[in-house]
Amino acid sequence: MAGRGRGRGGSNLSLTHDQLQALGIARGENTPQIVAPPPLFPKLEVKPLPLPSDAATDYMLIVKDQFIEYLHESPAYVRKEAETDGIERYSDKYKMLALNAKKDKVLDCVWANMPPELRPQAKKVRKAATAGPKRKLNDAEAIAKRLQTLEKKEIQGDEAMETNENEETVNNQEGNDDEEVEDEHEEEFEMDDGTDYANNYFDNGEDYDEEDDNLDDGPVY
Amino acid sequence: MSHQMGRVVSAILERHFGEIVQKVGDDLFSYGSRPISMIVRNTGLPRNQVIDSLRTLLKFDLATFEPYNDVIVDYKLLPDNVLLLIRYPRYLLQMKSKYGSEAELLVEELLQQATCTATTLLFNIATKFKDDKEKSITILGLKDMFISLVTAGYIQQAPVAELKEGSEIPTLVPVATIVPDLDSRALVQAMNNGHINDIKDNIYWRVNYDRFHLDFRDEIMIKAITRRIDENAGELMRFLLEKMYLTSAPWAPESSPLCAVELRERCRSAATDKPLLHQFVDQYLKVLEENGGGFVRRVGDAGSGQFTVRSRHAALQLVLCALEHCVTERLGSKAARIFRLIYTKKYIEEDDIQKNAMLVNKECKQLTYKLMEEHFISVQPMRKPASAGGMAKAIYLYHVKLHSVAYTGLEMCYRSLHNVLRRAAHERSAHARLVDKQRRVRTIVHGMRLRGETQRNIDDVEETLTPPELAVLQGVEKRLKQLSTAELELDRNLFIFKWYFMYPYVE
Repeated sequence: MAGRGRGRGGSNLSLTHDQLQALGIARGENTPQIVAPPPLFPKLEVKPLPLPSDAATDYMLIVKDQFIEYLHESPAYVRKEAETDGIERYSDKYKMLALNAKKDKVLDCVWANMPPELRPQAKKVRKAATAGPKRKLNDAEAIAKRLQTLEKKEIQGDEAMETNENEETVNNQEGNDDEEVEDEHEEEFEMDDGTDYANNYFDNGEDYDEEDDNLDDGPVY
Repeated sequence: MSHQMGRVVSAILERHFGEIVQKVGDDLFSYGSRPISMIVRNTGLPRNQVIDSLRTLLKFDLATFEPYNDVIVDYKLLPDNVLLLIRYPRYLLQMKSKYGSEAELLVEELLQQATCTATTLLFNIATKFKDDKEKSITILGLKDMFISLVTAGYIQQAPVAELKEGSEIPTLVPVATIVPDLDSRALVQAMNNGHINDIKDNIYWRVNYDRFHLDFRDEIMIKAITRRIDENAGELMRFLLEKMYLTSAPWAPESSPLCAVELRERCRSAATDKPLLHQFVDQYLKVLEENGGGFVRRVGDAGSGQFTVRSRHAALQLVLCALEHCVTERLGSKAARIFRLIYTKKYIEEDDIQKNAMLVNKECKQLTYKLMEEHFISVQPMRKPASAGGMAKAIYLYHVKLHSVAYTGLEMCYRSLHNVLRRAAHERSAHARLVDKQRRVRTIVHGMRLRGETQRNIDDVEETLTPPELAVLQGVEKRLKQLSTAELELDRNLFIFKWYFMYPYVE
């Protein structure tokens, strides 16, 4: 605890006279206390050496500027999304066009050397995956199928009651398996889109003539 | 991986690739390696912009990735490669002065593309200069130059992606470079057709920075000897280095022994250019050994003398020179004298410094403390076990810890490099409007000249830039040029420091 001894003397100097002398500070030669912080840009005491200016340096400067300019024009230079300050201007359209024209180019990379998440098709795949499965309820055929299977099961169940017990268990097991699998499927779909927003309610009129059991469900909002 | 380095890397990324890449780079620098989702969360940037930035970084070999598990990939910044971005002009200069403009074009295009197939590279350059009769660049000439550059090691094969089983994430594996066999007829045909769809080429190439660095090192060593002794000695150093490449690893700290007989023969073959060197080979070798800054050392007498080239020692000497120079420029020649004194004496007491440096007591102490404050020297207290009295019982030995002082120098380089970059960016942004105006006027004037409009109209357009504006523009241009030159010079210093740190530290 070296700091403990310092406060006692009352003076703000922590060194003894001898020590100060050893450091090369004579009596009465205290350095003036500095209150202000040092200047942000201190004055240079010595002028810096001149920089070389020959043909080679000039060449390098030109090449450097060219390289940077090339990068700025290339898609490697990532730009912000074109945005406006909320005031509509006539020139906005052209500005946005110019900006977005530069943005749309994709950097030319060796995609095989990139992780899959950086490859350009990665995004598309994900989109297709989310939009892919439709809700089963919309599909009239699927509903009909499901009803059929249920019906069959009922009949089968009745038959099984009459026939021997062995068969019943086997059948039941099969039925259970089926149901379980289907339930799982349905759960997945439910999870995918809990809301109705993804559903396609557009009716192109093709199904008009067909029997539509969906109508029985009442209007959909 | 210091704080200063991070700031420089950030500024360089901003200058070359814009703010967004800079943000991503900063994030990667401060957190080491991390996956995309973390970058997105931390920087607050949209995911597609982060992806774009990462693509840029990976393309220019400024970052790497490695699979964390089957799905998640960790990205990691390579700060040393980012620093190389400001060395690109030097590579091109080297190419131009050594191999001519064709080689320069090849390397320039390859640096811009980062990685590229040979066919695309040659085709692009040849198409660019198809109408340029003056330079007369043909695809066949380019092809020959490409092959000789590959043979010389300036261009190497890019790492190849390998897929592990069950994972979609590739791992990049470096491959040995094989000199390619390009089909001239197919290339000429492609030129005539105007497309290269017919040629199947999936070998990618990139610039081998290390080979350039070897060149830089050799140049520095030869130049140092030339300046210290004379041109003939410099030439002798060149021969020594040539021989060194044949027998030892290029970056070896000390080469395997080289025989003086071989050197003599080499000098005889160059006798027409350097008659004096041929005449006084032995004397030059002696001088080089005794007064060449320890670049060369005599290791044996067999076969009329054996010599080694000491690359590591050369780096040490050069770093020492650079540091001495720093001290001179910052604190004056008297401080440099103290610094030199302490380095030669290894450990020295304060009183002895005064005596040996022949400076006034007070001034000497002040400079010594100043040197210590700036971390150029350090102090080692030695306690005497049995003696009474406060300060008297310890002696303080001053010494130079070269390794840590070299770090101080490196940090200083980083700091000033950052300052230079920041200042240039400020200069550019402050006068962006004017510079933009100047550019627009230039393009308009250029267009008018092409259309052959009258001089009066052209003058009218040119006069839209008022004299005060022109004066400001000139000032800006001059300052930017100065800052860019400073950048290149700082990079030279950085190179020497990096060369020194390449060899592991020994006491």
